[in-house]
Amino acid sequence: MLAQLTSGERQLSIVVLILMAMVGLAMAAAGRGDPIGVHGFIVVVASVAMIFVMLSGLYAPEPSAERLDHYYDDPSKVGVILTMIWAMVGMFFGVWVASLLAWPDLTFDAAWASFGRLRPVHTSGVIFGFGGNALIATSFHVLQRTSRARLPDQFSPWFVLLGYNLFCVLAATGYFMGVTQSKEYAEPEWYADIWLVIVWVVYFAIYIRTLARRKEPHIYVANWYYMAFILVVAILHIVNNLAVPVSFGHAKSYSAFSGVQDAMTQWWYGHNAVAFFLTSGFLGMMYYYLPKRAGRPIYSYRLSIISFWGITFMYMWAGSHHLHYTALPEWVQTLGMTFSLVLLVPSWASAGNALATLNGAWHKVRDDATLRFMMAAAVFYGLTTFEGSFMAIRPVNALSHYTDWTVGHVHAGALGWVALITFGSIYCLVPALWKRERMYSAKLIEVHFWLAISGTVIYVFAMWNSGILQGLMWRTYNENGTLTYSFIESMVAMHPYYIARAFGGLLFLLGAITGSYNILMTIRGHSQAALQPSDDAPQRNLAPVAQPAE
Amino acid sequence: MPEFHRKIERSAIGFVLAIVVVASIGGFVEIAPLFTIDDTVENAPDMRVYTPLEQAGRDIYMREGCYACHSQMIRTLRDEVERYGPYSLAVESKYDHPMLWGSKRTGPDLARIGGKYSDAWQVAHLINPRAVVPESIMPKFGWLRDNPLRIDDLGEHLTALRDVGVPYTDDMIANATQDALGQTAPDGDFAAGVTKRYGEATQVRAFDGNPATVTEMDALVAYLQILGHLTGAAQAGVAVQPEAAQ
Amino acid sequence: MEIGERDPVTGQVTTGHEWNGIKELYTPVPRIVFFFLATTILFAVCYWVLMPAWPLGKTYTKGLLGIDQKTSVDRLVKDATLERSAWTQKIDQMDFAAIQADPSMMKIVEETGHTLFGDNCAACHGTKATGGPGFPNLTAGIRLWGGDPKTILETLRVGINSTHPDTRTSQMLAFGRDGVIDSKQLADVVAYVRSLGGTTDGLDADPQSIAAGQDVFKQNCIACHGDDAKGKRDVGAPDLTDNNWIYGGDLQSVTTTVYGGRQGYMPHWEQRLSATQRKILALYVLSLRKVPQ
Ligand code: HEC
Ligand code: HEC
Ligand code: HEC
Ligand code: HEM
Ligand code: HEM
Ligand SMILES: [Ca+2]
Ligand SMILES: [Ca+2]
Ligand SMILES: [Cu+2]
Repeated sequence: MLAQLTSGERQLSIVVLILMAMVGLAMAAAGRGDPIGVHGFIVVVASVAMIFVMLSGLYAPEPSAERLDHYYDDPSKVGVILTMIWAMVGMFFGVWVASLLAWPDLTFDAAWASFGRLRPVHTSGVIFGFGGNALIATSFHVLQRTSRARLPDQFSPWFVLLGYNLFCVLAATGYFMGVTQSKEYAEPEWYADIWLVIVWVVYFAIYIRTLARRKEPHIYVANWYYMAFILVVAILHIVNNLAVPVSFGHAKSYSAFSGVQDAMTQWWYGHNAVAFFLTSGFLGMMYYYLPKRAGRPIYSYRLSIISFWGITFMYMWAGSHHLHYTALPEWVQTLGMTFSLVLLVPSWASAGNALATLNGAWHKVRDDATLRFMMAAAVFYGLTTFEGSFMAIRPVNALSHYTDWTVGHVHAGALGWVALITFGSIYCLVPALWKRERMYSAKLIEVHFWLAISGTVIYVFAMWNSGILQGLMWRTYNENGTLTYSFIESMVAMHPYYIARAFGGLLFLLGAITGSYNILMTIRGHSQAALQPSDDAPQRNLAPVAQPAE
Repeated sequence: MPEFHRKIERSAIGFVLAIVVVASIGGFVEIAPLFTIDDTVENAPDMRVYTPLEQAGRDIYMREGCYACHSQMIRTLRDEVERYGPYSLAVESKYDHPMLWGSKRTGPDLARIGGKYSDAWQVAHLINPRAVVPESIMPKFGWLRDNPLRIDDLGEHLTALRDVGVPYTDDMIANATQDALGQTAPDGDFAAGVTKRYGEATQVRAFDGNPATVTEMDALVAYLQILGHLTGAAQAGVAVQPEAAQ
Repeated sequence: MEIGERDPVTGQVTTGHEWNGIKELYTPVPRIVFFFLATTILFAVCYWVLMPAWPLGKTYTKGLLGIDQKTSVDRLVKDATLERSAWTQKIDQMDFAAIQADPSMMKIVEETGHTLFGDNCAACHGTKATGGPGFPNLTAGIRLWGGDPKTILETLRVGINSTHPDTRTSQMLAFGRDGVIDSKQLADVVAYVRSLGGTTDGLDADPQSIAAGQDVFKQNCIACHGDDAKGKRDVGAPDLTDNNWIYGGDLQSVTTTVYGGRQGYMPHWEQRLSATQRKILALYVLSLRKVPQ
């Protein structure tokens, strides 16, 4: 892979890595006795290790110009592998965390292993580790194919992918040490946040530079969604993470906002992290791999427009549905609720567009588990958004908020939509990247599919039951007009559902492990002929299309 | 519309700008007025800031992820008010950077936990919840009692908080470390300074049962015991909005 | 627009573009989408008119209904209180014996007390009120300060060693640590106390030690625990002759108690619970009693 980089790119890498190592050193020195020192050390080790890797190939011959006749897929390859590793790590912690709620002593008697620290390892592990890597890996692949252009250079994709994973590692190791801003889905501390901004700017630059070189005048829908994902996540991330560190030698910082303004900013962020990370980005994925696999045209271009702009505009108003009945002024809650309801229409429009695209390909859905993954994902997407809009209605939220119902909704989306569409896409992507005819084993895909579906269904049903039961127990009045159940009784009633959830999660994890094995065997290329589709190449000779507005 | 769209989807920069504009509206309309509309945050003249010890406890509360299981936000619903006490007001988290309202109640709400139980119960419960509540699924936090609290840098913490808007005085910042010592040792030399700076009602006790050392347990219990008591606004029934009260 | 070919399955035309083999149909947006858009937006607009909704610089639209969540919940809670007054007034007015004699009132006490106890008291006294190390078992009789209803009510109001100005105060002195008795005396008096009938891990002390312990007890302990060691209610000192222990009756626990002293803390409930709620709890606690007072 190193041989693909030009000598200029190799030198640039080393310069950047040296800079990073210096920053890491400064952190390690300033933060002695503080977790930021440990993180400085991690940065130094990671950078120095990469420097050695670079040095080993520094004097390799210049890559031939022929490389420009191919798409640049090496970062996607590594990205897919990282995706599967994070999937297993994140879901392992999910199962552990789920087990802790059923059997609280199923842990080591140590600070790092307590529920409050493991839970964000799970959420960040799956959302950022698994989801984020999947988005980066697929976006590079989709972007090049739909633009018929190669990535603009060979350094920045690596910077984005590896830099992003450094961020994930800082996040996860930070939680173990108790480093957290406590803002859900934005827990990493100030220095990791700053690092992510840098990585993200480069990511955006890759996107815009590749699009500028595209050979098709129109930008494909998948790229609308990927672009919305990159842009809006940047806005959200920067605003919500504004904070003042205690000092350069402290991991700890204090949020710029407080109280009610902080709550609104946090859930404007939190909700739209769902919308633009877990929804928009994955819709981009779906808009490419689903029609590709089904061999069908997108059902309606016009529907795509409505759903895209509807989602982009309306999601941003909906965050306050996380704060119904709280000290947030009611007018904001009203806006959050009403926009969440309207939002259902574009959401279902995109789910419907995906399912209608399968018209004429339903026999393939039956026979091909990969396509079935994507079909099921679209169904769960529709289900989750319906549920979400329903839960956004204030009186419904009065019952569901704070309960496991929310957790059930989350995982209907996270497992049913995010993870299924990712697995489906990856099963398309892996043979394409490694030039194999197909995945190593279609049977194992089938096994994975059923493990994933049954795991999701068990998980979600368990949480619907426990959540609604919990919500009802909290508000049930006896005929005297006083509360019927104490809190602790509601907690005890959750026990069987927590066991069921842990079991469902375990099935899902086993599925992910099966998938990883299948991918590994495909990469190793057992008993398969290498495949070289002739049209899978950028159009070098064409000049970029005329783009009047630029 | 499709025809117009055909145009913008030919321009990457145009598309980018369109996304940024369309996506920025909602957040702006909902967040900016929270800073300008006066009755968003109630007036509570008796509201005080956290002592350095309580703030350190709050940091530990975040570090251990208590917010993952406990809310600190009693909603305006009858059952919550009847179970947990007067609903939470915006002013009560005015000095909370960040707020810890929470999104999940695996355990009960803690907005009004201060004073509900004894220090000894809190300590026993944190060390091993199942020793006092056999049914509990809360994790053990035994190390808090063994870890000495880092107090030498508390002044820096208060300074950072002042930078984001908490009205700590120079006096408070200069004496932060002493005040942490003082608040845990009622018979020591520094106790008087704490009540002088933070008010007579400030709880000065050996929260972990041992006045000789300042542990993380001291800080966390001091924080738990002040929850719901920084101001009496909610209990006093200021809970009604100014206009509605007339 | 550019027209592409016609799709045989749906009969729609494509937009004429192709991205790496992917095409799009120019299918019109199904009418139902516009219908639902219109419906949800209409609902939203109605809601905005009726309820607080749009910010206007320094204020916001209050809505025609003129309600908001704070006034709503205040009213709900008030109405509920009013509705309950049908029986809460009776609780307030009737004396304890009358309530205890009235099964319908006791049913209310049982139902309401159960949850109040679970949310406020169970953390210390246990969900079944059987206590735990450091927290008395309330089903075995209210024996520290006394189990007549008025006394319990007062205990709940002011707490024990609590922050309430009128709190009940009690303390078991640290006889060993403060050097009031030496280690031999400590062992003896512990042996004596444990011989009174309440060992929980078997008594293996020799009779001489027990006899010596009796002397130590006479000199130091009867002031609080009484000549017969059956406790004194006016100082909150427990009966040491029964098989009920707050801190444990094994050798280790009793030794720790007498060596280092004890001062249990029972919070006061005057601010957190209403007088009616406290009365219900007192009645509830009494109803849990498994042994006659
Ligand atoms: C796994 C979830 C979980 C975590 C993490 C957790 N708790 Fe709890 N907590 C509970 C549950 C469940 C209960 C109710 C049972 C009990 O009293 O132990 C509870 C009860 C409590 C109570 C008593 C509340 C009452 O009104 O009875 C306090 C105080 C408390 N927790 C504080 C904390 C603090 C401080 C932390 C962090 C250091 C923490 N909890 C972390 C689950 C958790
Ligand atoms: C923080 C823990 C705690 C909580 C919560 C608590 N108690 Fe207690 N309670 C105690 C302790 C400790 C004692 C014994 C005090 C002593 O040892 O001197 C006690 C004593 C009592 C007594 C007196 C026993 C006697 O023999 O005189 C009664 C009655 C009682 N509690 C009832 C309640 C009720 C009812 C509630 C709920 C409203 C409650 N307690 C909540 C800790 C608690
Ligand atoms: C100043 C009054 C006082 C004196 C004197 C006193 N006690 Fe106590 N004792 C108490 C009180 C009050 C308690 C209950 C403490 C609590 O519940 O926190 C108690 C509790 C105890 C207990 C624990 C009972 C249990 O249920 O766990 C033992 C044992 C005991 N005393 C033994 C003694 C002995 C032996 C002596 C003399 C050497 C003695 N006491 C002298 C007031 C006294
Ligand atoms: C093996 C499968 C999984 C298991 C067993 C699992 C389990 C859990 C558990 C136990 C929680 C904590 C709930 C609580 O605090 O009550 C949780 C939270 C969460 N998980 Fe998972 N999870 C799994 C997979 C995933 C995946 C794949 C994603 C995302 C792509 C995900 C996203 C989340 C999120 C966002 C939360 C936070 C929910 C909230 O705060 O409301 N999980 N998960
Ligand atoms: C129309 C679309 C959607 C709407 C209106 C919506 C609405 C909601 C609502 C009302 C809540 C509960 C808030 C609370 O009471 O605390 C919630 C929570 C959540 N939803 Fe959705 N949802 C939608 C789609 C999705 C999708 C597709 C996902 C994908 C994974 C998702 C992930 C989550 C997560 C992670 C949370 C938990 C947030 C937290 O408390 O930590 N949602 N959503
Ligand atoms: Ca952050
Ligand atoms: Ca949450
Ligand atoms: Cu949301």
